[in-house]
Amino acid sequence: MKEDGTLPDAALQDAARRLGAGAAERLDVERTAQAVVARLREEREAPRQVWARIPASWLRIAAALVLIGGASIVARGIWPRASGVAPQVETVDLGELSPAQLREVLNSLDQPGPQEPVPAQDAGLEDLTPQQLRTLLASLEG
Amino acid sequence: MPPAEPVAAVPSPTDAALIAAWQGGDEQAAAELVRRHARALARFLAGAGAPEADLDDVVQETFIRAFRAVATFRGQCRFRTWLLTIGGNVLKDAHRRAKRSRVVPLGDDLRSTDGDPHERAVAAEAEGRLGEGLQQLPRLQREVFLLRAQQGLEYEEIAAALGTTPGAARVHYHHAVKRLKEHMK
Repeated sequence: MKEDGTLPDAALQDAARRLGAGAAERLDVERTAQAVVARLREEREAPRQVWARIPASWLRIAAALVLIGGASIVARGIWPRASGVAPQVETVDLGELSPAQLREVLNSLDQPGPQEPVPAQDAGLEDLTPQQLRTLLASLEG
Repeated sequence: MPPAEPVAAVPSPTDAALIAAWQGGDEQAAAELVRRHARALARFLAGAGAPEADLDDVVQETFIRAFRAVATFRGQCRFRTWLLTIGGNVLKDAHRRAKRSRVVPLGDDLRSTDGDPHERAVAAEAEGRLGEGLQQLPRLQREVFLLRAQQGLEYEEIAAALGTTPGAARVHYHHAVKRLKEHMK
């Protein structure tokens, strides 16, 4: 001990070197080594065990979903505008109508339709929807 | 009867060779690394505050973490030094979980029957005070002190392991020594 009451560096280092030595000596190193190896082995085998635990039927379903998803992506690539194609419009050959029928058509356009009202000033055959045209034709036939 | 031929000394594989063997699937290489470094690690952990009852668990966890991350070990320092720094992290996590810091049960060291009983008692008291003092140091100072004073490492090695400079490691060490001496007056 120094005059100021502190330990000399050598004594401090000596105490530091002894610190924990007893506990370390009592450690069963071989048992620790085997325990570490066993845990490492478990960790290495764990991913394989996860796959093994999944039933084959679930794997087949997952594979089918992947195939369907892939096929839909491919289909979109091949027909990118498939959903944007305008539906075919049923057309009416006005030449086949009699003058009376044509007048009736024109009169009907002046009145709002029973299902989908259309402003008279904006109405024209080209503006009618297929449903409106079908309603119109039905009224002409009936 | 002809004299027995001298057995050629087989050099033990280096840590790097054992690490490579483990990465290649050799479990015994991992076991050999544990045998080689477990006691030094245990001393470091006990000095840093690991209770003896938990020492085996902390040592095991340190090796497990080290083997998981061994691909990131670039040889910037010795494997043992790298292992000790991982041990410091494991211990910190354990302390955080326990929500309290415990000191080493230094009384166990009194079981030693070597030497003069008075000297043993004085030494045990010094170790006890040192253990208490270490718990009051910032973690970096504590680890630098243990790596230097207990494990005998050079500042360059300590700095490489802790990601600092040798000069900073030296400063941490001297601050630790100053505070420990004050505590042990």
